[in-house]
Amino acid sequence: MTGAPRRRAGRMSVLGTKDVSPEVVKLSWAERLDILDGLSLLLDQIYVHLPLKRSLYGFDIIRALASLRQQSTSINDVEFHRGLTTLINRLRDAHTQYRGPWTKEGVVASLPFLVEAFGPRENPTYFVSKVDGRSVKDKYFTEGVEITHWNGIPFARALELHADVETGGRPDSRRARALESLTFRALEYAPPPNEEWVVVDYVDHWRRKRSIRLQWEGLEPGKAPNAGRKSLAMRFKRSIHLEAEAVRRAKKYRFNRDLWRAEGETARRRGGRRGPAAAFADFLSARTVTTTHGKFGYLRIWSFDVEDDQAFIDAATQLVERLPDRGLIIDIRSNPGGLIWAAERLLQIFTPNTVQPTKFALRSTGTTAEMASAPFNREELGAWAESLATAQNTGEPYSAHIPITSPEQCNDLGQRYGGPIVVVCDANTYSSGDIFAAGIVDNGIGSLVCIGDATGAGGANVWSAQDLADALRPAKIALPRFPKGVDFTMAIRRAVRAGPSDGALIEDSGVAGQHYDMTGTDIAHGNKDLIEQCATILAAQPRTRMNVKRVTSGIEVETAGLDQLDVFAAGHPVGRPYRVGRDGKHTLKLRAKKSAMIEIVGFAQGIVRQRRRIVP
Amino acid sequence: MALVLSGQVVPCDASDPDAVFAGRVFIDDGGNIEQVGKGNAAAPAGFAAAKVIDVGNDFIVPGLIDLHNHIGYNTLPLWAEPTRKTPYAHHDSWPSAPSYQSSITWPSKALATTEPEALLAYVQLRALVGGTTAMQGWPTANRQHVQVLRNIDDETAGGTSHELIYTSTLTLKPIELAKKAQAQRNGAGFVYHCGEGQVASLVEREFVDCSHAGCLGRTFIGIHCNSLTANDWTLWPVADAGAVVWSPFSNLWLYGSTTDIKAARRQGVSVCIGSDWGPSGTKNIQGEIKVAKLVSQKQGLGLSDRDLVAMITSNPGDALARCWNKRVGRLMKGAFADITVIRAAGQKPVWTQIVESTEAAITLVIVGGVPRYGDPAPMQVVGGPTETFTLAGKDRRFAIADPAAPAKAWPFSKITGLLNAVIADPKAALNRAEARLRAFAGPANAAEAPLQLALDMPTGFGGFAGNIRDHADKVVIPPLASLLHDAKFFTDIKGRGFHGGLLDGLKGFYP
Repeated sequence: MTGAPRRRAGRMSVLGTKDVSPEVVKLSWAERLDILDGLSLLLDQIYVHLPLKRSLYGFDIIRALASLRQQSTSINDVEFHRGLTTLINRLRDAHTQYRGPWTKEGVVASLPFLVEAFGPRENPTYFVSKVDGRSVKDKYFTEGVEITHWNGIPFARALELHADVETGGRPDSRRARALESLTFRALEYAPPPNEEWVVVDYVDHWRRKRSIRLQWEGLEPGKAPNAGRKSLAMRFKRSIHLEAEAVRRAKKYRFNRDLWRAEGETARRRGGRRGPAAAFADFLSARTVTTTHGKFGYLRIWSFDVEDDQAFIDAATQLVERLPDRGLIIDIRSNPGGLIWAAERLLQIFTPNTVQPTKFALRSTGTTAEMASAPFNREELGAWAESLATAQNTGEPYSAHIPITSPEQCNDLGQRYGGPIVVVCDANTYSSGDIFAAGIVDNGIGSLVCIGDATGAGGANVWSAQDLADALRPAKIALPRFPKGVDFTMAIRRAVRAGPSDGALIEDSGVAGQHYDMTGTDIAHGNKDLIEQCATILAAQPRTRMNVKRVTSGIEVETAGLDQLDVFAAGHPVGRPYRVGRDGKHTLKLRAKKSAMIEIVGFAQGIVRQRRRIVP
Repeated sequence: MALVLSGQVVPCDASDPDAVFAGRVFIDDGGNIEQVGKGNAAAPAGFAAAKVIDVGNDFIVPGLIDLHNHIGYNTLPLWAEPTRKTPYAHHDSWPSAPSYQSSITWPSKALATTEPEALLAYVQLRALVGGTTAMQGWPTANRQHVQVLRNIDDETAGGTSHELIYTSTLTLKPIELAKKAQAQRNGAGFVYHCGEGQVASLVEREFVDCSHAGCLGRTFIGIHCNSLTANDWTLWPVADAGAVVWSPFSNLWLYGSTTDIKAARRQGVSVCIGSDWGPSGTKNIQGEIKVAKLVSQKQGLGLSDRDLVAMITSNPGDALARCWNKRVGRLMKGAFADITVIRAAGQKPVWTQIVESTEAAITLVIVGGVPRYGDPAPMQVVGGPTETFTLAGKDRRFAIADPAAPAKAWPFSKITGLLNAVIADPKAALNRAEARLRAFAGPANAAEAPLQLALDMPTGFGGFAGNIRDHADKVVIPPLASLLHDAKFFTDIKGRGFHGGLLDGLKGFYP
């Protein structure tokens, strides 16, 4: 598989020598300097985590780039791009990535199997969790076999070595990333693998040691309908690990081919009778799970990388309203993030209380101050301009922390699911996934169960090179011209948490929850133990219910576990609180204009448990 | 395309300020004035086949220059906060008025977000019908767009630099002022909203800061400056005197007082006029000059009608020429061919006729040698795509390109139709606009990118005040304000604002 990148989704081919040792477009020395000058300027003046990364890893990227500058006339093009990629990766920031001209748009290099781990973190077991039978002809290499060696290196050590070059602030998150990228590399965002094939030693189901040689293949999974398209509408509002999103799609293509095929069908029916949920099948799925504590809802959020946040929330609402209201498990493991608005606005449908969004800050430099104060950037960055200007005098290293999703938008729809909530995350839950998890914890919406120590710790708003150019142009700050095929992304605004953890950084720390180690049963039987654990948490929560609808005589409210209802019309209280003497249906007579938005608030022992809106 | 204008030429010649003569103005292919000749003086070479527009006895005057506006807001009617009983102190006072956001921020933002091209077309037409050829105060945009008037903020004057003039509507910090002064030292101009408020209010400090920064030079153009005391004006050395832009309607409407024009003139500062924006200004520069006359009469400023005409032609033209190294505002060889033709009527002196003329008297407006607006007859001489519309009962033609088909003119009904659709259902229009942005993923400055405009005035209180999405449900947009100083405009003036009845006199100029 060589030559120009192919754009048609749904292809697979074997990677050859020219793919892993690609010929890249020749750059003049001047072009190399343009790249280095541009990146040095942006990293030094705009990269939001620069002080943090210097402090955390003792690594000075600006000095390193200066050093590469000196060597840039004595190395070849591949060495230049690999050297630059290695330096940027030492920031361990999946948001901040350099893409050399060897990248292949839409192509994911993949081995035909997945490796997962279970058991205690000190002594995990590594085994094959998925095998693509179309590429693997060895009848013994099947799901459940244990891997012992990788290219002759004991597997745990091979994983450590690979994790050394992976992103992720904590050791466990680096390992989690490494485990995923060991068999999947998005060539649009990362260099190709070093080898054309790997030799895997494993123990089969009969405990016999075996070996298999597997070839890297190139997949082109394409983008899902409704996926983010870097549009002008949502520019500057993303927090996403792009490589992980591409890998997620490739896994679906490789191991869930039927679902992948169904996307095309769904896209054709979009807007039809199947409703909004079907249009977001790549991002959301839902089902009812049966446990020893009863039936609960299970919502899988695969990704927040959507273009239309409102349509995404409508789809999620449609799904959860069909699920049992006894409690909801929201699974955001390996969610690579996406549109910040989608993640933060979704929180409100799970809580009767006001949602406080995560807050973001820019680094305070002359460049960020000029960028924020440019008149054309006023809508996007104006809120940060005053504090950046002040910081020029005071020496404050960061601007004020201000939400990207406005508080109004975070609360404009209101609660739509009334049961208790538990969210499951892991060290590959990243970016907007981190932000969603933080929102769940910081707004007291539910419990967080974490496979690993915490979420993946990608706490920033990420911009593309195009975004940066578009934001700097109005401030009359010109970037050097980057040669064709060179691109990058960068963390521009760092996220800090709200509520009781107000001001706590997400980057490199993540959001911690109740620790959970995956079990062999989980792996073999669809997360059975994990779901049971979540059900135990949900069953321990107080149970209330409230369903409302407008009827001719007023509002019909069906309640369970509530003792008081307050009614508001257009934001004003209507009458006295309604005392609820029993569970069941109650009709509240209402004197309010039909055009007024009605809000019903349900209390149990003085605590707000339910809130619903009836929009005219 | 070379063009000759024949009529009563009012060149606003610096060496003969009173000159008015029958003659011809020769406009070359590049949109510049090649020659201004008296009577039948010989045509310069290359004009033998040029088309001729003979306007008879009508006045051929330099194009009217509006040196202070915020054109993105010019579909809005006059605004007065109903609960406010006393004049505002300064420019930071009124943006926090209870009705400011709902009356100004959201309607203007909704129109700019949803139909930016139609908005720009409408507000440019509003200026054209008042004889305007150049304006200050354009919204910043992500890419090039249809522009028929001269954009003072972004004029390249035949070169490539877009930094001949810096502008700021919002107050700058001292260090930013110092940077602007640095640019001025290298020849750039600086148009700055400065000291807008009641006399001796705290914004007076803005002018003092300009002095300390080194801004007060020949290329400084201060807008408003109405908080300055007579003593403040002496900070501006006579030898370095630049220009002040006077917007008496807006000053009186908001603050009940206006700029000390006598003190400014004493200091040698050139006085120009700007009509300011829809919510607190006149419809166009023609209206504002009449307000200046009313104030001059009331305050005994001693401004002649010729002085007033200079404030919208040669005075701003000279101030801009210092920044552009290109003449404008006077009819002379080498100047931009920006020309307004005003119908002659009666026996009053020419300057009085110009000051008292209304929109009905504007018969032709030429920008850069291209006829953009006027009566059907002169517009047809040159040919080219134009559209017809009716203004105050008379047929008029204008030439503003359809952004979707640049070779065609954009019909007035299409422009207003698009804007009225937004007014009818702002939320639906905002959704359409977001979908349009969602469908484009290229560079924001690409020619095919959806046009995005950033308006320049304060948005009012709140960190997210500029985010229209938060307020889509609540946006109510008033009907399009008319292009003319009409009966509704005069009704809106009476009993509102803080002008003490002085502005009621404006109606007397409009029969």
